[in-house]
Amino acid sequence: MPDLAGIKAEAKRLLREGIVEVVLAFKASDSPLHPQPAFFRSEDEIDQLIYNGLCANNLARYLTRLPKQTKLAVVARGCETRSVNALIVEAQKKREDLFLIGVPCEGIIDWRKIIGHAGENSQLEAENEDQVRVRAGDSIFSLARADLLHESCRRCVHRNPISADIVIGEPVQEQGPENQEDFVNGFRAKTLEERYRYFQQEAERCIRCYACREACPMCYCAECFVDHIAPRWTESGATPAGTQGWHIVRAFHQAGRCTSCGACERACPMDIKMTWMTEKLNRDMREKYNFECGMDAQTKPPFATVTLDDKQRFTAGGSH
Amino acid sequence: MSAKPKIVLFQCQWCLFAPADQEWVDQRLPQHIHLTKTPCTGRINPLFLLNAVQGGADGIMICGCLPEQCHFKTGNIAARRQLEEFGDFLDSLGYDQKRIRFVWLDLQDRGVIQRELAAFEAELEAIGPTTHLATRVESVQGGAHA
Repeated sequence: MPDLAGIKAEAKRLLREGIVEVVLAFKASDSPLHPQPAFFRSEDEIDQLIYNGLCANNLARYLTRLPKQTKLAVVARGCETRSVNALIVEAQKKREDLFLIGVPCEGIIDWRKIIGHAGENSQLEAENEDQVRVRAGDSIFSLARADLLHESCRRCVHRNPISADIVIGEPVQEQGPENQEDFVNGFRAKTLEERYRYFQQEAERCIRCYACREACPMCYCAECFVDHIAPRWTESGATPAGTQGWHIVRAFHQAGRCTSCGACERACPMDIKMTWMTEKLNRDMREKYNFECGMDAQTKPPFATVTLDDKQRFTAGGSH
Repeated sequence: MSAKPKIVLFQCQWCLFAPADQEWVDQRLPQHIHLTKTPCTGRINPLFLLNAVQGGADGIMICGCLPEQCHFKTGNIAARRQLEEFGDFLDSLGYDQKRIRFVWLDLQDRGVIQRELAAFEAELEAIGPTTHLATRVESVQGGAHA
């Protein structure tokens, strides 16, 4: 269970001693199942800070939303520290301007699953690594945390923060890569026809709201390719070509940059499954280039490096 | 299959060193092959490929220079990983990876491009046409979508 008092004390200290100007964390919102990201600029505001399993956003997303020199503290889980590293590699922030308050993560709880079990108007009462207690009206539900986890958290292999300045709470047990492997292999085993049908079904629900883009820490392009007027890269409406084109390019732009945090999928109002595309790319990056995004703040992603090491990809007059 | 497969050829403008080959590609390319010439394979954005695929291409051929022969030193090196992975990625979405082919040409090569295109065409004819991902609506006159 995360040590909320510890996080608050550390956040207060950082603000009091002037080490940072802003603390990036969560606060309660009007809806009990959706804590919202918040910028805390003074010590008194810290009292509103909360942290629980329902904090679904990836806070690294807001690093690029503040002026570049802002001294910033982030309450960061495993995926968030990795996203921060990836952003540092891409020169979006300097490590010295950041203070990472690491929190070992037990997995994010999917609010849709809570509603599925306990109904609307549910409230989180208490949680630990095995059990989640939910109150809905007068009834109390005790649910297994494993059943409520978000899909990408179930596959997560880096739950403990990496390269945090301070870690608050006991490290949690890391999960093996089996779930991740099974997930990608499951798609690989399908036929071409089945894969296309699946992709078509997922893409056709898209309403082009770009919530996935807004939730993604790596989607910080000043102008996204879908917003270009001339040349128009894809159809701009929610047409088959438009939605498929959006999902293909959104995922492919994450090749070697995605940390599998799953924030895109959690943000989607249409519940479109899209992490399977980025998982596939991530796995290719691991297999072909032995690269895993965000594990340090120096290694550039494979597509950003120009090297002749894998010359065999060229053979005179032949394919590949 | 009655109609010939639709092929989009992306050609780096430096890779066909022999004037006869370049002349053939420029002037005598068969009707079903659409030529897009780029200054270098490094200029080919995955979005170009996506555009071809969504526009209904049965196959895409990308031809460029061998490593260390790139006119811009490293353009082809910057391109190949990305484009190859893009082909692999489209495969996982249902567009057969065999439909995207790379031809890396040596500057000494003569007549290779014709041979490669013929071989590619034969292979595409064997797999048959595809409608996967070919979703783009043809613009009607006036620019509105049908």
